[in-house]
Amino acid sequence: MSLIARQSLLQLCVSLAATMVVTLGAVAYLRRVRVERPAIGVFNFRDVGTLMVFIVTLPVIYLSLPRFWLTLFLVVTFAAALGIGLRPLLRPATLWLTVGVLLGANVFVARTMLGTQTGWQLYWVLVGTVVAISAISVANLYVQGGMQLRHAAWFTLALAAYDYYFSQIVPLTPHLADRFQGYPLNAAIGMRFDVFNAAIGIGDLLAFGIFAAAGYKAYGARALRLTVPLVAVFGAALPALTPLVLGAFTRGSLNVVVPVQTWFGPPAFLLYRWMRKHYGPERTMAEFLASEDVAAEAPVPVALPPVPMPAPA
Amino acid sequence: MFETGIRQFRMAMAMVSGRRINPQLIQRLVADADATLREFGSPGDDVDQLLDGPFADAETRTHFQTQGIRRTTRRLAAQSPFYAARFEAAGLDPRKPDLDAITAVPPTVKADLVASAGDFLCRDAHPYLSTRTTGTTGKPAEIWLSRYEAELWPAMAALSGLLRDEINHHDCLQINLSSRATAAVQHDIEVCRLVGARSRALGLLPIDQSLDSLLDTAGSGANPPTMLGTYPSYLARLVTAARRRGLGPGDFSLRRIDVGGEVLSQALASAARDTLGVTPNDAFAMTEVLPVSGRTCNQGHLHLDLNMGLVEVLALDGSGPAGPGELGTLVVTPYFPYRDCMPVFRYDTRDVVRCLAGEPLACNLAGSPGVSRILGKAAEVLDTDTALVTPRDIVEVIEQLPSQPWPAQYRARVDHGVLDLTVPAAALAGTTAASLVGRFDERGIGAVVTVDGSGEPLRSVRADLLETTFTTTRPDGEDRPDRSLVGV
Repeated sequence: MSLIARQSLLQLCVSLAATMVVTLGAVAYLRRVRVERPAIGVFNFRDVGTLMVFIVTLPVIYLSLPRFWLTLFLVVTFAAALGIGLRPLLRPATLWLTVGVLLGANVFVARTMLGTQTGWQLYWVLVGTVVAISAISVANLYVQGGMQLRHAAWFTLALAAYDYYFSQIVPLTPHLADRFQGYPLNAAIGMRFDVFNAAIGIGDLLAFGIFAAAGYKAYGARALRLTVPLVAVFGAALPALTPLVLGAFTRGSLNVVVPVQTWFGPPAFLLYRWMRKHYGPERTMAEFLASEDVAAEAPVPVALPPVPMPAPA
Repeated sequence: MFETGIRQFRMAMAMVSGRRINPQLIQRLVADADATLREFGSPGDDVDQLLDGPFADAETRTHFQTQGIRRTTRRLAAQSPFYAARFEAAGLDPRKPDLDAITAVPPTVKADLVASAGDFLCRDAHPYLSTRTTGTTGKPAEIWLSRYEAELWPAMAALSGLLRDEINHHDCLQINLSSRATAAVQHDIEVCRLVGARSRALGLLPIDQSLDSLLDTAGSGANPPTMLGTYPSYLARLVTAARRRGLGPGDFSLRRIDVGGEVLSQALASAARDTLGVTPNDAFAMTEVLPVSGRTCNQGHLHLDLNMGLVEVLALDGSGPAGPGELGTLVVTPYFPYRDCMPVFRYDTRDVVRCLAGEPLACNLAGSPGVSRILGKAAEVLDTDTALVTPRDIVEVIEQLPSQPWPAQYRARVDHGVLDLTVPAAALAGTTAASLVGRFDERGIGAVVTVDGSGEPLRSVRADLLETTFTTTRPDGEDRPDRSLVGV
């Protein structure tokens, strides 16, 4: 078997595992856990635009920041994302201890243990854990904040164009992948075997989580039965196997950067249009919460009971 | 969502800094709140903090109030001829007063407003809309609003109403207020517009026409009013008319009734619940101190909105703050930037309340201080040998009579230290004057009762400001021109 075939096979396994963990994890979280939301505010198309501005500008910031500041920036960003997702599940002390251990271990392993195969694998496990929880959390922040499938569909379509442009026309994404590789808090889920290293970025995983969760919120299990195969085929399999037939995405022998969203965005958008036509209007969050698609048992509340305020004099 | 966060931040910054708040900013937040309710069915987690502010903590409350007073005195000293002179006469330094220092400024009374209306207008404001008090307590006062106020107040009320589920885009509000209460009517219509609700500003029509509108017999038939805003006396007549027609809760679609401006008795509130299906909300609002208003909690306390102004309760003799359990009059100072065109400072409403005894509050509005419900006007409090008798004391007793004489008609005075009460003969149907005296006695009020058989009104209520129409409703239910009015 050729090197590129073995690389693609590893990429396929990693992508399938990562996309399924995030996609199904986001839906499971949506069914069982309620994230905090502000008193006023619902996700709308302006927010899609704002997200795109962040997505375009953040890589430039990542590339321009000195290493120390980049790591600090990533620590703050991931701590916030983990906090969003874990706050409804853990007591505050446990929450911040967990976040601290996860991020601290990540930094420690990246700085001291990457000289061995086992060290690399431990690095990817730690990074993957942080990235998966973060992607699930942020996807739920948006979807439980009112993001609809139509927003998600347009978002993925915009990402498709973005991904192609910044991987093939202006090679920002490959530079970004190089910048993160082997450093703390790599924004990807990956694995290493022998000389082969495969990963899928947090942006792609976030898009899958959003699309699946928004679809489930909108139409329930019938949407999930369509979105999961879509993610598996267009989000994991086809991008992983693309280098076998197209050399445009390969730099050197094994350095492959495929614009995953370019594969995923158009079919995701078409699937949304199909569901809209056949399933009708999307459910609101209130309608979703009132439906049987929400898990019957809410998690045991872990927040401390409110302390009665002293009455005013 | 991101934009909404920025708008909330801008609103908070404007409130903290004391700058004028852009009404369009609040209007956009209203649209955001409406979108939030359409998506989630309820506002988010920290809505109480957004609505009620940080007033549960006494220290924070004092700090907030001091800041509000300072920015208000600074502006009044610079822009209001009346208060520039009054502050100077009182020796108040408008730059850094505190809550104690302002007590040197005598309360403003309605006579000041009537006598020197022009001096209350701020030099930097542009009058746009005038509104008049209804004049039930004397010569009406005229208050001018700027366009800023006319836009800001409804926007803030709409935002608060949406988040408290007091109004939403499904609602239809029937407004039975005097057309002279321009600001209140304009305010209600604008609130409805902002939240996407429908409004029916009827005024004080002949009672059966308003009742027909509540039933929607004359309207589209599909969307009868879900909310009613009126005075207790007009509500009393609506309830009486509905009972006369044999109507009950199933005939109405109401989910909320707001009343204010007069005493709402418990008997009338219960009757409204039994007949119209909703217990009325006994709100406080007064033209002169707008936009400060008050809500009644589930334990019957009145809680005034401390975000908008400073509320003091002064002893009836003006000697200083009323103590726990004592009667006092509400003195209100609306803050800048909420009051802009014709502001008042330490305005004595002459509305009497009783200070609560001082125990910790356990009501649903315990986050802000409360007082008793409005007990009536200070001029109508009677000093008898046994007790100070407030209009509410009298209204509560009379409106509980078996004849259901709503709104209560009476004339009261003190004779030899005893309450001397005159009531219409019709009010005593099914009971006796002696029984009525006994009811007062149970409340610790010594009274003598005189029966008036003339049929003439014994006191004025707001429902008396009835507006005529060109149509009358015949016994068969059909409307036709009223010949006596059109002169044919």
